[in-house]
Amino acid sequence: MSTAAVRAVSLVQRFGPHVALGPLDLELPAGARLAVLGGNGAGKTTLLRMLATAARPASGRLEVLGLDAVRQRDRLRARLGHLGHQVGLYPALTALENLEFFAELHGLGRPAAADALALVRLDARAGARAERLSRGQQQRLALARALLHRPELLVLDEPDASLDAEGRALLAGLFAGRTVVMATHDTALAREVCDRALLLRAGRAAGDPWTLRVVGAEG
Amino acid sequence: MRFLAVALAVARKDVRCELRGRELLPALVQFVVLALVIANFAFDVDLVQGPRLSPGILWLVLVFAGLVAFGRAFAGEKDSGSLEAVLLTPAGATAVFAGKTIAAAAMLVACEAVLLPAMAVFLGSPISPLVVATVLLATIGMAALGCLFAALAAQTRARELLLPVLALPIWVPFVVVGGRAVQLAMAGQSPSALPLASQPLLVLADFDILFLVVACLAARFVLDD
Repeated sequence: MSTAAVRAVSLVQRFGPHVALGPLDLELPAGARLAVLGGNGAGKTTLLRMLATAARPASGRLEVLGLDAVRQRDRLRARLGHLGHQVGLYPALTALENLEFFAELHGLGRPAAADALALVRLDARAGARAERLSRGQQQRLALARALLHRPELLVLDEPDASLDAEGRALLAGLFAGRTVVMATHDTALAREVCDRALLLRAGRAAGDPWTLRVVGAEG
Repeated sequence: MRFLAVALAVARKDVRCELRGRELLPALVQFVVLALVIANFAFDVDLVQGPRLSPGILWLVLVFAGLVAFGRAFAGEKDSGSLEAVLLTPAGATAVFAGKTIAAAAMLVACEAVLLPAMAVFLGSPISPLVVATVLLATIGMAALGCLFAALAAQTRARELLLPVLALPIWVPFVVVGGRAVQLAMAGQSPSALPLASQPLLVLADFDILFLVVACLAARFVLDD
């Protein structure tokens, strides 16, 4: 087993005959913050879904936090925080109730929900139903859900979507001390909050993620 | 214990969302009452015919109300992405499935709480504790299977068509045995008829155990693979 936070070897994802990603090799040390860049259909979401154990690779090997992302996904999920394309909130529940529900699923107490809400500076809106929050506030709430159980690795698909300047500034603070893999179209944000980048083109790495410390203009 | 805690948390959340959103329950109750009114006119039911037709009408209404109640159990959350967020926690797909089944069954029980008294009013059906027990027992197994197929159908685009095609044939044992039990319960006015009427209840209980186990075993593969 590797001690790297993420280790992918010849990772491939297919949808029917179409190869959506790979073959891709990737190794990310603990504490690194990787921006995954690329145009639409480049394979960013596909990669992130496999890292988050939401999808199984068609072939290749994927280890996340030293665990096999397919066979040991149940154990892995307790150590991962994921934010997908959709916020995935319950509109009829309040911001706090949304987090309390997920805290129960993680086997945590209610204080964890309030702490996570404070972390994204939404404590003033704790009693507001999720459907009455602005899109940016919903995104923050979804981020709070991903952070609720203090995960070792954050897998975030466009976390900056709908965030205002304050929300984007918040991201840098939230990422401190964590391993992060984040897909984004915003190269300026990637430079600001990440320390390395992986550029995908048609499902393949365009360049070496280790040396791509300055994010290219593509994506 | 953890399984039960997760299942109850999911069920509580579903019931709370429904009570606040009021999307499904009012529509289901309206459907139940309208179905009985239509049956009343369609069969030209009087107080003599009513009790004879009641078992058939009861199961028709229950089956279609169940399709609506269970069909919504996964579809909305699948579309909004919240189901994936739940499944990516360490809660376990089987416990999540059990929770959603409890909530969907509670929704159908709420319909039954309207349906049975309404049948007594519209059709003059004799509603006894045995009839109530039969309907509740059938609800458990129907909910387990209905939610399993609803989870399967939610992955497809033709989910509204697929759920009845999958669920209706598998619900036949509940309709046959439940129909017989309700027939006997409604006909059995004397205490001597009770043992005869309770036999199908034991069969329904067996079905419940069997289908609950099968649905829970299959749920992980349907939801998480």
